[in-house]
Amino acid sequence: MATLLVHDAGPQTTVQDLGRRGSLRVGVPPSGPVDRQAFVLANRLVGNADDAAGLEATLIGPRLEFADKRWVAVTGAAMPVTLNEATMPRWAAFEVEAGDVLRLGPAASGVRAYIAVSGGLDTPPALGSRATYLRGQMGGWQGRALRKGDELSLGPSVGGAPAEVRGSLIPDYTREPMVRVVPGPQDDRFTKRGLATLFEAPYEMTPHSDRMGARLRGARIEHTRGHDIISDGVALGGIQVVGDGQPIVLLVDRQSTGGYTKIGTVCSFDIGRVGQVKPGQRLSFKRVTVSEAHELLRAYRRELDDAIAFPS
Amino acid sequence: MGIYAEPRFLPCGDLALSVEFADEISHEANARTLALEYLIQQKALSGITETVPTFRSLLVYYDPLIVGWDDLVASLRALCRQARPDVLPPARTVELPCCYGGELGFDLEAVAKQVGLSPDDVARLHASADYYVYFVGFTPGLPYMTGMSERLNIPRLAQPRVKTPAGSVSIGGEQCCIYSVESPGGFWVLGRTPVRLYDPSSPDPILLRAGDHVRFRMIDRAEYDAIETAAAEGRYRPRIERP
Repeated sequence: MATLLVHDAGPQTTVQDLGRRGSLRVGVPPSGPVDRQAFVLANRLVGNADDAAGLEATLIGPRLEFADKRWVAVTGAAMPVTLNEATMPRWAAFEVEAGDVLRLGPAASGVRAYIAVSGGLDTPPALGSRATYLRGQMGGWQGRALRKGDELSLGPSVGGAPAEVRGSLIPDYTREPMVRVVPGPQDDRFTKRGLATLFEAPYEMTPHSDRMGARLRGARIEHTRGHDIISDGVALGGIQVVGDGQPIVLLVDRQSTGGYTKIGTVCSFDIGRVGQVKPGQRLSFKRVTVSEAHELLRAYRRELDDAIAFPS
Repeated sequence: MGIYAEPRFLPCGDLALSVEFADEISHEANARTLALEYLIQQKALSGITETVPTFRSLLVYYDPLIVGWDDLVASLRALCRQARPDVLPPARTVELPCCYGGELGFDLEAVAKQVGLSPDDVARLHASADYYVYFVGFTPGLPYMTGMSERLNIPRLAQPRVKTPAGSVSIGGEQCCIYSVESPGGFWVLGRTPVRLYDPSSPDPILLRAGDHVRFRMIDRAEYDAIETAAAEGRYRPRIERP
């Protein structure tokens, strides 16, 4: 059977697809890739559907051995890619043979890299998805991060072709990103000055960040009256501000509901970029309206649909 | 405090909005929330991708390339007018066995002291109530409930615990909750249910739903152990009454 053998897993490599839908109402987060754009592009490069299951590697990548001929693409964080010691391109599809060993080194910039294999990973779905939800021990491979010796089944190979992501769409993770934010749902629980603070100076990523949330550090954001609310739903990208006035951006493995004020919500098309900011690096927030966000989303999806070049 | 004359529509980024009915925790506000969610499902409103009910608001995820903000708010506003408790299908009642006190209910004695009752009376009082599940969330399958006697109202722990075991039946303020996975928490633990509220290995991993009623049945440690073993082997099904 066609498999992928894990020689080394790296600190946190998980199976992900585009995530669960409809499970938040019972408290199960969607999971899926933190950087959805990089993940989708990896799948498209190897000819997979957007929702085919692939791998998300964190800070240091895995070492994997293939058992048959496949197309492979690596996107996201700048982890050096080698195939049997030979350097391979990132953001481009290449072919591997049975016995080939793919290795991703430590990220020079960015946090999360994505590995797509033509045919996708064929792990057992849970609640309709192969995405790994680590805290809930659900989905992916046995509900956990990969370990040395794991052997993952692959789906039937689909035909691939040489392909690469257009250079203009490859992010430079060494730069300080500016992410767009729609104020709300509890922006009225902050002083005018508190709301302005969020958009003034950059915030620094702290090491206490994971797939659940990105904890940031910077200028204190001022509340009007306390940080408790009657618990409500927490959207992807929700910026929760608790008693210490520091923001936490909630990501794909977030709690479904929460009892803290949310000053704003990072737009879906910028969430992936938040997940690529290393601890110690900074990011800044830019305020947009809902209708501006929808215009930006339209442009973003057009750009994504035109992101891949197939050299003839 | 109370139900708003008109629901509020609060933006939650580019893909979600929150429909808020009230600034209070009440059956009425929650019933409207659940009724709106039910109507959205029934009418299969175009462009809505997911909904998350809570005490007094419904988080609605949508695809803005299918339905824009103005159209979505207009259709939700119309549905809110019909979102009355009587549109909801009759609720289920789920019976959960619970072993009170001892090492599983390690706060029972402290609670008894604080509310001025005997531990047995606290357990009996807690087990005799009918609980209403406002919503399920925070962690997978965790029910937010009220229903118990006012005599059991007790402020939450001053120092939240780092770890509370899964299945812990616990109280704080007027609320009762059951930890679905091991997690930090500020509630007083009266006992534990051997029933799994969240079982990631099951095809249907979540037991409780918003709008359910829950009743506790007092069990002793021997029965707890027996049910726990059966649950681990997937052989135990709690009693669920459907009207």
